[in-house]
Parts: sequence; C-alpha cells; structure tokens
Amino acid sequence: MAVSTNDRWLVPARDTRMLLVKWVLALLVPLLVFNFAWQGDALINNVILGINNPAAANTTLDQLIEAAVFVVVFYVVILILAGYLVASDSGRRGMVEVWADVLVFLVVPILLINATANLILGVAVSAIVWGIYFLLRKRIPAFTRLQPQSLLDNLQVISQEQRAAIMNRARAGGFWLGASLALVWIIFDILFYVSGQLDTELLIFGVVRTIILPIAGFLLGTLGGRVALRHVLNANGESENGSRQKRERLQATSRVREEAADVVPNDLPLRSKGARNFYLLLVIVFVLFYPAIDPFLFGYGTNGRLAGYGDAGFYVILALGLNIVVGFAGLLDLGYVAFFAIGSYAWGMIGSTQLTNVLNLPPINPQVLSVLFWPMLLIGALIAAFWGVLLGAPTLRLRGDYLAIVTLGFGEIVPVFFLNLDQYTNGTNGIVGVHSPAFFGIDWSTITPVPYYYLILALIALTIFANIRLRDSRLGRAWIAIREDEIAAASSGVNLVRTKLFAFGAGAFFSGIAGVYHSAKLGQVSPDNFSFGDSVIYLAMVVIGGLGSIPGVIVGALAVYSINLFILAQLDSMATDPTNFMYGVSHFITQYIPGFTFGNIRNLVFGVILIVIMIFRPEGLIPSARRRRELHHEVNEGPEEGALDVIPTAPGFETEVHVE
Amino acid sequence: MNFTLIGQLLIVGLASGAIYALIALGYTMVYGIIELINFAHGDIFMIGTLVAIVVIDALGAANNPPTGIALVGVILLAFIASVVVCAVLGVVIERIAYKPLRNAPRLAPLISAIGVSLILEDIGKLWKGLSPILFPQIFPNTTFYLGSISVSTIDIFVIIVAVILMVALQWFVNTTRLGRAMRAVAQDREAAALMGVNVDRVISITFLIGAGLAGAAAVIYGLKFGSTVFYIGFNLGLIAFTAAVLGGIGNLTGAMLGGLVIGLISSLVTIIPNSNDPSTHGFGLPHGGVAWVEVFIFGILILILVFRPSGLLGSHTPEKV
Repeated sequence: MAVSTNDRWLVPARDTRMLLVKWVLALLVPLLVFNFAWQGDALINNVILGINNPAAANTTLDQLIEAAVFVVVFYVVILILAGYLVASDSGRRGMVEVWADVLVFLVVPILLINATANLILGVAVSAIVWGIYFLLRKRIPAFTRLQPQSLLDNLQVISQEQRAAIMNRARAGGFWLGASLALVWIIFDILFYVSGQLDTELLIFGVVRTIILPIAGFLLGTLGGRVALRHVLNANGESENGSRQKRERLQATSRVREEAADVVPNDLPLRSKGARNFYLLLVIVFVLFYPAIDPFLFGYGTNGRLAGYGDAGFYVILALGLNIVVGFAGLLDLGYVAFFAIGSYAWGMIGSTQLTNVLNLPPINPQVLSVLFWPMLLIGALIAAFWGVLLGAPTLRLRGDYLAIVTLGFGEIVPVFFLNLDQYTNGTNGIVGVHSPAFFGIDWSTITPVPYYYLILALIALTIFANIRLRDSRLGRAWIAIREDEIAAASSGVNLVRTKLFAFGAGAFFSGIAGVYHSAKLGQVSPDNFSFGDSVIYLAMVVIGGLGSIPGVIVGALAVYSINLFILAQLDSMATDPTNFMYGVSHFITQYIPGFTFGNIRNLVFGVILIVIMIFRPEGLIPSARRRRELHHEVNEGPEEGALDVIPTAPGFETEVHVE
Repeated sequence: MNFTLIGQLLIVGLASGAIYALIALGYTMVYGIIELINFAHGDIFMIGTLVAIVVIDALGAANNPPTGIALVGVILLAFIASVVVCAVLGVVIERIAYKPLRNAPRLAPLISAIGVSLILEDIGKLWKGLSPILFPQIFPNTTFYLGSISVSTIDIFVIIVAVILMVALQWFVNTTRLGRAMRAVAQDREAAALMGVNVDRVISITFLIGAGLAGAAAVIYGLKFGSTVFYIGFNLGLIAFTAAVLGGIGNLTGAMLGGLVIGLISSLVTIIPNSNDPSTHGFGLPHGGVAWVEVFIFGILILILVFRPSGLLGSHTPEKV
C-alpha cells in the first residue's frame, strides 16, 4: 500500500485518482439506482413539497420529519463511508471485483425490490442471485489463478506524512462522491424541469443541494478518514488511540468476543470492522424510520406490511433464546415451543378475564389490566424461566440425543396440559380478549400496527444486548466450554449442573418475553398454536443462521420466517392474479397434481432448503468465527509441519508434535 | 376391577405395541449404526401405507373383498409392494441426505433428517390429500372369545406377523455374516472397515432392512386401524422412537421391549375415568385417560431415563476422554 506523500484532495495524484474512480463509482451507481430507478428521490421531494404544502402531500408532519431525518442520516453515512473506503483501501481487491460485488450486492436487490414491490420477496430473489454469485466467485480465481498478495510482507510503520496523505485521500473521496452525485442529480433535475415534470421549488432545492453535497462530502470525508486511521494498527505497537496498555486491553477484550479480527483491519475495506459500523448504522436508521418511509418507497399497504414484520419480530426473539440453549450451551432442545406456550398463557390468563373467572374474583379494570402488560413482560419471562429450569432438571445426566427426545417430549406434553386442563385454561377454545398494552396515550388497537412494530424493535434490541453480554460473560464462556467438551469443562471447574440449568432458564426467559408479546398482539391464545412443527422451525432458524452466532441467528430467523410464512403465501396470491406470470405456472402444475398450491408445498420447499444448506453450508449463513474455522479446517490452513518433516539431526527435530 | 376390560386392553395394547416395535426397530438400527435420529423413518412408514392403499385399490380388492387364496394373494402383494417401496426409499434417502453428512457435526444430519421428513409429508399430502384416507378393510375381522375376553382376529394377525418379523430379524443379525457385519459396524466403524467390511454397503443395508420393516408395519397398521393420513408418520414415529429410547437405543431387543411397553401403557391408560364426568365423582383425570396418553408415555420415558440414563436394556458406554 504505497501512499504517496503529496496527495491533495482537489487534484489528486495518479494512484489516488484510480482509487477515487474505483470507490466513487462503486458508491455512485447504487445511489443513482436507488434514487431514480426506485424513486428514492421521492423521499426527499415529498418532504420538500410537504413542508411547503402539507395538505397536498397526504402525510402527517411527523412522517415528514422522520423521513427528512432518515434522508439526512442516510446521505451523511454514505459520505463518511466514501471517505473511509478511499482512505482504507489497500489495493487488495481490484476495481472490477469491487464493482462486481457492489453490482450484485446492492444494485440487484434494489432493482428486484423495486420490481416485485415487496421488500421480502425482493431480498429473497436476490438471495438466490447472491448464492449463485458466491459459487461463481469462488471458482473464478481457480480459473485465472489470481493470488491476492499477502499483506503481512508489507506492513510498515505509518509516518506522519503517510497519515496526512490518508486524510487527504479520505477528503478527496468524500468530496468527489458528493460532487459527482450532485452533478448527476442536478442534470436529471434540469432535464425534468425542462420537460415540465418538476416543480420550481424542487429545482431551487436542487441547486442548494448541489452546493451542499460537495462541501458536506469534504467534511464528512474527513470523519471517514479519522475512522480509517483509528483502525490502523501500527507495527511497533504504538498507535493513535492512546497508550500501548489501553490498546492491548482493547485487543484482549475483542479476543474474548468470538470474532476473528483481521490481522490488518483495513485489509478488505468493504468487510472491515470500520465499514461494518457504517452498515450497522444504516440498517438501524432504516429499521427505525421504516414506518415513515415505507409509504414513499412501496405505496399502499403499509399497515399490512408492518403487521407482518411485527410477527417476524417475535421469531427473532425466539431464535435468539433458542440460540442460548442450542448454540451457546450445545444442549439440543427440540421442545422449545413449550416455553413459548407458557409465556403466551401467562399473559393470556392474566391479561384477560380468564384468571379472574377461574378464581371467582371480580374482573380487573381494563385500563389497569393494560398497564399490567409491562411488568408482565418480566414476570411472564421469569415464569417461563422457572419452568425452563424445572423441565431442564431431569435432562442433566442425559447424553445429546436422549436430551433431544426428552425435550421433545416436554414440547409435546405442555400443550396437552393446556388443552386438557380446560377449567383453568379454557382448552381448545383458547383464551380470547387478551388485552393489548397501554403506554401514555398511544393507540394500541389492531388498526395501526405501528406501536407493536416499535415495541418489538425495542424488545429485539434488549434481547440482542442481553445476548451479547451473556455471550461475553463468564457464564457465556462456561456455556461454550460445555458445548465443546463437557468433561474438560468440568475438569476446569465449570459447575455443570448450574451452568446447564442457567442455559435452560435463560433460553426460556426470552421465549417467555416473545410469548407475552405474541398473545398481546394476537389477542388470543389457544393450544393449537404450539406444536412440534414450531419447535422444528425454531431449531431450523438457529441452525440455518449459524449456531451460536447472534447476527447469524437473526438473519436465519428472518430467512426462515420469510420462506415459511411469507414467500409462498405471496406466490399463492400472485397465482390467483390472472395478469401475473405465476398464474400460468400454477395452472400448468395443477393439471398434473390436483390440489397443488404454493402454500401446500411449503414444507417441501422448506425441507429441500434445509437439506441443501446442511450439505453445502452446515455452519449456517453467518457462522461464528469459531465454527467457520472448525468446519472449513482443511480449506483454510495449509499442511501442518510435523516433527517428521525435520530430519533427525537438524535442530527443531521433535520439538513439538501437534495432535488434533 | 373389570378383568375382561383389562384383558381386552392388553390384547389391543400388544397389537399396537407390536406395530410400534416394528417401527422402533428401524429407528434403533439406524441409530446404532450411524448415531442418527432418523426423523424421516415415521414418514417412510406413512408412504408405505399409501402404497399399500394404491396396490389394494389397483387390484380391485377394495370394492369386492376377496376370500381365501385371493385374499392371501392380495395381502401378500400389498406387503411386497409396501416393503419394496419403503426399502428403496430408505436407501435413496440415506444416499442423498445422510451420506454426505457422515463426518459433519451431530446437528447437521439431524436437521437434514427433519428436512426429509417435511418433504415426505408434503409428498403424502400432494399424493393423497389432506384428509384421512380409508384403508380397505379386507381382512376378515371376526372376534372370538378367550374365556370372557373378546379377541379380534386382526389383532392376532398383527401380533403373529410382527413376531415373525422380529424373530427373523434377530436370526439375521445374530447368525448371518451380514448381520455380524452390521453389529461390527455399529460397534466400531473403523475397526470393521479394517476387517474388510464394506461400511457403506452395510449402512445402506441397515437402512434397507429398517425401512422394509416399517413397510411391513404399514400394511398391518392399515389393516388394523383402517385409515391413514399424511401426518401419522410424525406422531407414530415419535412414539416409536420413544419406545426405542426406552428400551435402550441401539439395542434390538430393547426396541421390541420398549415398543411392547409403550403399547401396553397407551392402551391401559385409557381405563382412567374422566373426572369431568359427574358419574366418577371427580376421580380420574380431566377428559379421561384417553387425552393423557402422550403425557403418560413421555412421563414414563423421563422417569426411566432419569434412573437408567441408557434405557431399560441399554449398556452404559462410559465416555472416554
């Protein structure tokens, strides 16, 4: 990574120019596709129009403000990212490779989401494209025999001039992205204005934007450069972020997190830790402001979509809870739905008139009842955790597969209890009229799912935070130790009984939270909702996502939810529409197989996907680093030098023999 | 104590226990040899019932029930068809879904098995629809009396066929070379390979035999219970696997014993009266013992596993470090 020392940001040197072309184009193309193919510019245009003339824009002021905040944050992060990427590029991935990556990972999903007018379907189809691309990408270096040069040979101590040059690069990156984006945009705007499709105020805004963007790019690029420099580790141990001790402590804690940090953090900039922070920020902002921007991006039907996402949300919590039991502690639990049922019935009985009917007490005032939801989140979770410990206790001495069967048995037994003890639980009819929560004047009726959406987001955030802290704690490490080798863990002082019971309890705790939310949102509870099939789905979420890896499990939960409950239903509704191409396909198939609907073959598709993933990627979609190293052991590591490679009389003979 | 009732329940329990035992044998053989819970086994059984229905319908026996030699022929053909299809299906599933995962961590073939189970259930659903399908009741079902206990011939038939098959299996595994090879692979795969046993072939043959037994069980199940539906595979498979675990997984005699025990429990539990019914004065369980069969089965399993973690007849192999 040769950094020339007289890089200036306005008229950069030659290699910086190449970098700029590489990254600015890489970021510019998706932005343009987003803005003009998917009407991303509609977001900001509507805000401008709406501010001047609220009635015409058909949106509330809140929505406009949220959309405006989203747009501002979005572009700010993109500009910082531009600076960061240009500054931290090490030349390891060529221009064409980066462009191909950006094309497949950003442009294709945007186009597909636009084409299908549906976020989940678009992402699902692009997932297929990504899968094909991954396969091809692995093959291509074999054809062209390209070897990325190892950077460990070229590590050098960064000097002050190099530091300044990197900052200049970052500024150049941000500036040029802002400038080029502004230029293209204003050209489009002028064209539209001339053809009469654009309002004058939008044109005025466009001119303002053309001035702001490059300046903002310059300033934000500086920020990006600073982030890049922070992630640079110097070879001699000194760094910008403080003393050596502080840096070592930072490294030690990051080693505790099961992430294999790259040796040179800015090596693959698109995947480096600095860039990942930006992606995370973008995702968080997108998810947070989604209810406001959805009408602009997708048109009508926001409420239906939000209700669907609210449902997907509690699957995420369930998957994270199961991840503790199966992923962290390695206890194969096939009856997880039992704890979910317990949580649901906890709120179901208290949050409706059921309990007071059974105990022959006067019913609780409905307003008080609704406020009870919040403490019940905790209490229901604790009840579920208690049962988790109780049901986990008999399994402590059992080996893996016996444990699976016993937990499966519990998963079957608990719904039977709820079904048969109907003088308490109202049996097959279930409990209806379960109250929604109440919160300072927000309307929680089922007409607007927005409060539920934010509630589940908050719950998911809490769960993720709790899981990360659990994983990095002593208890989490004890779980991982048990998973890897029980006897060794016991010999190292891990109290097996307590740790396993904690695992069951913690896993059941989160399912309790999900259960309380679920019964509140659905408004009713009945034993039919809980069956072994659901346990299988939760397990599949964890396994497909990646055992023990928190982002993996979240992605796995969303993927399984989409496949199982969403995509096929969508295909079915598309098949009933005669103008859609699915209509012909479905007709063709029903001629040979009567009774065929896409909903019917849901399990078939799901089963095939499970088998394919297990055969080709058993570590899951986003595996934890440890698992990836375990399962692709032979691929990553070269042949090991054994003691016998050294002839007997040479030094180093029989120093160490590694036994795997 | 109504002894005739208990006696009848015993006979019925033995019959259903025999069917559970046949299915449990498939589970236990597969687990003994590759340590995999074959979730798809119950669904292979379900496919066997559907095949038997198709064959019997094709022979026109559903509408005019045959008698005598024709009856024997029809039942024999149904057996052969079901056993062959199930056996082939078992081998194919093993080749496609389990063989690539032989060296993968424990959870991978388990998930794959669940995937196969889902696929088979949907195939059953697409083939014969969502609602229960009637199995042609071609077996002449007469009852005769053993003292005061009424026994139906179909139960006797089920028990006889199951016993014959189990004895045959025991003979096969204990005396023939192939049986010895199977036991060797179950004990230590690598040592068996070193002794010249073709491990892949033995594993395939294990699946073949296990699935074939499930196919036979499918026919006698259909003849006795008279209907089948695409999801019985899961329910029955679960109970049968519980039976296998109860008896000690990997142990053939254990599976047979476990199946019998589970069959007896599931039928004897139905004696328990319904406490909701006013005539019982609150004695018994709500909705009667019938609704609590699963709870009893799993309860017994958990109790036995707590006190004997390797099952009734299982041998406790200490874990070596």
